[in-house]
Amino acid sequence: MFQIAASLAPFDQFASGFSDTAENLHGLVSDLTEQASALKEQLFARAELLAQRDQLERSGDHDGAQKIVVPEVDRAAALLALHQGAGRFESISAEMTAQLYSLLAAAPSLPDPAEQKSFDQWKITTRDYLAALPIASKKLREWSADEPIPWYRSISSFLFGREWVTASFWQDWYGIIPLLVGSILVSIVALLIAVPLGVASAIYVSEVASVHEKRLIKPYIEFISAIPSVVLGFFGIAVVGQAIRAASQSSWFSWISFFPISERLNIFTAGCLLALMAVPTIFTLAEDALRNVPRGFKEASYALGANRLQTIARVLVPASLSGIVSAILLGLGRVIGETMVVLLCAGNRIAIPDFSQGLGAVFQPVHTMTGIIAQEMGEVVRGSTHYRALFMVGLVLFTITLGINYLAQKFVARYRMSIG
Amino acid sequence: MMKAKTRRRFLEQTLFWLFRIATYLVLAAATYIFLDIGIKGGRTVFTSKPPFVNLEFLSQPPQTLYVFDFEGKKMTLGDREFRQWKVQHPGVEVEASSVAYSAGGIWPCIVGTALLVIGSMVLALGIGISSAIYLSEYSRNGPLIRLVRIAILNLAGVPSIVFGLFGFGLFVIFFGWNVSLIAGWFTLGLMVLPAIITASEESLRAVPQGLREGSLALGASKWQTIRKNVLPYALPGILTSSILGIARVAGETAPIMFTAAYAMKDEMPWQVAKFTDFFFQGVMALPYHIYVVSSKIPQNEYTQRVQYGAAFVFLFLVMLIALTSIVLRERSRSRLSW
Repeated sequence: MFQIAASLAPFDQFASGFSDTAENLHGLVSDLTEQASALKEQLFARAELLAQRDQLERSGDHDGAQKIVVPEVDRAAALLALHQGAGRFESISAEMTAQLYSLLAAAPSLPDPAEQKSFDQWKITTRDYLAALPIASKKLREWSADEPIPWYRSISSFLFGREWVTASFWQDWYGIIPLLVGSILVSIVALLIAVPLGVASAIYVSEVASVHEKRLIKPYIEFISAIPSVVLGFFGIAVVGQAIRAASQSSWFSWISFFPISERLNIFTAGCLLALMAVPTIFTLAEDALRNVPRGFKEASYALGANRLQTIARVLVPASLSGIVSAILLGLGRVIGETMVVLLCAGNRIAIPDFSQGLGAVFQPVHTMTGIIAQEMGEVVRGSTHYRALFMVGLVLFTITLGINYLAQKFVARYRMSIG
Repeated sequence: MMKAKTRRRFLEQTLFWLFRIATYLVLAAATYIFLDIGIKGGRTVFTSKPPFVNLEFLSQPPQTLYVFDFEGKKMTLGDREFRQWKVQHPGVEVEASSVAYSAGGIWPCIVGTALLVIGSMVLALGIGISSAIYLSEYSRNGPLIRLVRIAILNLAGVPSIVFGLFGFGLFVIFFGWNVSLIAGWFTLGLMVLPAIITASEESLRAVPQGLREGSLALGASKWQTIRKNVLPYALPGILTSSILGIARVAGETAPIMFTAAYAMKDEMPWQVAKFTDFFFQGVMALPYHIYVVSSKIPQNEYTQRVQYGAAFVFLFLVMLIALTSIVLRERSRSRLSW
């Protein structure tokens, strides 16, 4: 024990020396952050007072408006002070770079070859970082608060932004990626459950079931499609989420690495319920497609000596395949646009799930595009960036569903052609 | 040869059983939902004493529930009863914890939903049947009409929340109607419009051409023909398929969340100062109420009553409408033949 500690002592010293070099930089960053937030707050307060005065002025209360004192904010001076930070950064980073290079040169070696290898790798990364510091310094010098943000930057930061942060004291971010990933994951889970069930029951009802069964099952599944989504969502909160968590805690599933799960409302819960919404859509359309395959196809297959399964697998399903695919696409359209179930059951945590757990990512809470609109639209300040970002999310959603619809129609057209 | 045949037969039977199990799994899941909500909600809505229906739950507005210990007993009282109780027990200090929405009933929500459904269906049927008449009887198949058809086809697949967003942007903000019945009517009406137009056009086209030609040959004008000889025969079909539209309008939450629904409102919709205020007031609605009680208050023994009760009533109403439409359609399928 002591021996290990002793052998690691030089490394420990190295590590603490390493972190000490960054102290000045940390100090600078926190100083500048403070300055910048103070300026931002002053500007906000001023804007608010101005708006107040404007409102009083408009309602005819001149005296009240005159009473509001709007403080002047010396924006230019504050920005100049911020800019001087660039000079300080340069000297501090130069100092830090020199220290770090000398530290790296005298870095201790590690006993384990594998560790030594990764340590060497890390040293290379550190050198890369140090080499990039002058570029950062140049960027700081060139930075200007008055430089307009080009339109393509705002679009790309919306479409590829990995953060959706609102009502933050420092900086709001409106990146759609976490919401998009949430919507897609929930839809994938829902379709993985709904497609086998929907297609299997469509085949069963159209080819296997007796007439009596058919007359009962078909209206019943159509009936399921009328269950209001908010009731399904409530059922998810009250029953399904709890049941899934309880199941994950049981000893039967203890061999699964990511069980037991901590959140009762997650992608899987929402996906299960959405599957139940997608099944009727997939079932109805797929059954239609199967039923519309001309009788002659089936009869020819039987006449050649095929049994029922062979006829289904080799003739009926291939003949109606594009119809079935369009049924699945329309099911996807229904799932991705569904709001209440995901709002109630997906957990509403705005974050990209941690995929390092493999399949366990499916048991993490997410937020979705539909959910975020429903949740935040009611409280948003009208005309603000946040408000517009929500409309943009709606636009993306609209485009996605239009695309899905278009594809489904394409497939239906092909299906019509294939069966003449 | 024999062996191969039995193996094939075995494979066939196994797969058919898998299909059967998948089908019945879906049915079982739905049945479980109906039973769970039916049984737990039934406890709220029905009583063991005459009149067997919990009239208080169906006829009272929602109230805050107060829970407190008094002389060793756990008391649960609604807002109004709690104030009365305080008057009756002067000087008694109790520490009551309150649970929102969990006492009283859901009457204003039922009324609000009924108003929303009626208004939006009147709008949607009016616009929908008119445009279906235009599309099937008057329009020529030009590029513009094709564009309209593509739009109708694609609007049917647009998510309801997008309609809600559109209604919020146009009616609530741009027209300045605020959160109101009329904004909700238009939003919901637009949402079901594609379905209504498609169904109406189908019914109109199903009326045989001979009926039109006979009428025209007798000297009737085009509009007279449509009014006397086409619409009467198409109307049953139109109404049947629009009942499914009613189920959709009643069942949707997302479009009314920020166009028409309030989480809590003390006055009933008819308690307005001016006649016009009626259209410009927000209402409580059953689906939105279910959303509020299932997401904004915790799940426990005190809240379960209202949560399951509201879900039960709502599910019952929507399913009743859907069932009517399915039964009517099955009937008309077997009866209608020209």
